[in-house]
Amino acid sequence: MSRPGERRFRARAVIVRHAILIAWAAIVMFPIFWMLQTSFKDSGEWVSWPPHWLPHDPTLKNYAQIFTFDVSEAGVAREATEQPFNIWGSLADSVIICTISSLVALIMGAFLAYAISRFNVGGSKFRHMVLLVRMIPPIVVAIPLLMYYAIMVPYASEAVFGARISLFDTRTGMSLLYLTITLPFVIWMMLSFIDEVPYSLEHAARIMGAGRIYTLWKIVLPLVASGMVVTFLFVFILNWAEFLLALTLTHPEVSTLPVLLNKFQSASEGRLYGPQAAIGTVITIPVVILGVLIQKHLVKGFSFGMIRR
Amino acid sequence: MCVRCHKGGGCLIPHRQRAGRPCGQWTGLGPLVDPAAVSPAMAEATAIRGGTARIGGPFARLGAWLAQERVFRWIPFVLVEGTFILVIIVPFVLTVYISLLRWRANRPFEQATLSGFRNYEQVLTDWGFWESLGRTFYFAGFAVAFELVIGFVLAMLVHRVRRGKRVYITIFLIPMMVVPVVAGYNFSMIYLDSGPLNQLLAPIVEAFGINPRIRWLSDPLAAQWAIILADVWQWTSLTFLIFLSGFSALPPQLIDAARVMGASRRQIFFWVELPLLKPAIVIAIVIRSMEALKLFDPVVLLTFGGPGTSTQTVAYYLWEQVWQFNKFSFGAAASVLLLIMFSVLIFTGIWLLMRQRAEVERKPVS
Repeated sequence: MSRPGERRFRARAVIVRHAILIAWAAIVMFPIFWMLQTSFKDSGEWVSWPPHWLPHDPTLKNYAQIFTFDVSEAGVAREATEQPFNIWGSLADSVIICTISSLVALIMGAFLAYAISRFNVGGSKFRHMVLLVRMIPPIVVAIPLLMYYAIMVPYASEAVFGARISLFDTRTGMSLLYLTITLPFVIWMMLSFIDEVPYSLEHAARIMGAGRIYTLWKIVLPLVASGMVVTFLFVFILNWAEFLLALTLTHPEVSTLPVLLNKFQSASEGRLYGPQAAIGTVITIPVVILGVLIQKHLVKGFSFGMIRR
Repeated sequence: MCVRCHKGGGCLIPHRQRAGRPCGQWTGLGPLVDPAAVSPAMAEATAIRGGTARIGGPFARLGAWLAQERVFRWIPFVLVEGTFILVIIVPFVLTVYISLLRWRANRPFEQATLSGFRNYEQVLTDWGFWESLGRTFYFAGFAVAFELVIGFVLAMLVHRVRRGKRVYITIFLIPMMVVPVVAGYNFSMIYLDSGPLNQLLAPIVEAFGINPRIRWLSDPLAAQWAIILADVWQWTSLTFLIFLSGFSALPPQLIDAARVMGASRRQIFFWVELPLLKPAIVIAIVIRSMEALKLFDPVVLLTFGGPGTSTQTVAYYLWEQVWQFNKFSFGAAASVLLLIMFSVLIFTGIWLLMRQRAEVERKPVS
């Protein structure tokens, strides 16, 4: 322990460690910083050479443009003007779809996780098999779902109910889909929280005459409530970020925020870097704040019950 | 036999075994005592009351019916499985049917005719499909390798840091929260010919007499690595998170014991810490490889699969075939084939996770 030079070695190791960590922190923050500062630049500065690291005369023009749909002034790409371009609509779509699907997924998933944890529903392998759904590449599901939503559901509903119901390009359809693809994650995260609630507590409550639902409500729920909040926020972030399926299954009517951002992009014409940066900021900020809030709990939720604590 | 209480059953606390039911006789939240074992009269009374059913209005009776164990435990299972069948399985059966048709989306569905396995033949002989599949593995391989190494080193360093640990964790986890589309956009700004990357490289590049305004995304190789680097930027945070939770779960007493016995730092790392971190490593590899094979968003935002086809991943390739060229039945056949190919990987991944869990349950750490 007290060999000569050991102490100096330690001090140097600490410095090197911090240097590496700070370097990575800089790498991590740089793209986000660049987006933020681009969103405050006027159109002349977007692609100037040499690039300005800070906007020379900062402006809120980009934000004003995206929130008042006044993009024509900046020479908007043709596709973007043809399609209804409406950030409030997309914002509403994103918030509604993500909230509903995450909430329903949380309730269903938490109950199933409870059943798996306590009754071993579905057998001992079920908790792993649930992950299958998550591992299927979305592109494999996207093509079937498009045909299912656009063709099969209308046909079937016409035959059964007499009314044509289409799930394609609707909030319901998107919510149903997001609900399904995030359920595995909910089940996984909730399992790791519910497994930690000691069974003896429920046992005691039941002996003292509490009903099953009452036990769940008064004993289990308070203990896993924080876990449920974390799971909800995590799943919300996942849904918020989903792109491929939203791009596939919505075209003119509904569009979530990532799809909206993509609309500003066309290979043929110039890109609107400024408004894109502004939309990117609008999408990113709430999620990053949520993420920082749950960050402490994520470490626990991500042990996936594999690492015994 | 129960691994915890070393009894074949009969203990009141139902320990969960590695496989199968809890060892306690009292398995669910059912009646604690078997009424028939007490007295025939009690059995009769229980039967008359109908288990837990109480006299009450229809809602109370519905509640009581739902709360019965045999009903209660299956409700969520049926709901969740029903959703999976409705949203995943049924569409997939439909796809198998469509993959056997000769159909393009610009014609009415009713006019489609059966064509046997022609679509499958087309997919299997399509060079673009195989190329994009190979490219996907190339991207995923490099990206996951970098993410694992960087994530591991960062987690190790952060775990040892005393001051500012929380700040580092907060910052390092941010990329995970950034929407992939936005991340793709951010990197497209950085790789711009008048972007900051070129500005930073300018002094070096100019020394060789090259114009510093390099168009990174116009060169096939550079575009490929641009996508890999964007992926590494975003998902290193996930591997970091998994490894960090692994490191913080290490039992300190084992490491102290090793130190007391005179092990060097290197020995402690290789012989104590690394074996204990194996589950975290397996989880990180499985989860990240599965996700990396889905790579799509940065491709759209950065390169549109170009230049040429040099950055088309299999997801992007299929997407383009279906939505640009309307080759629906071709796309359907390709999805079926892709799922068959990937299911081997998926099952390997799940098997690895299951084995890992079994191992963790067997040896009680700490």
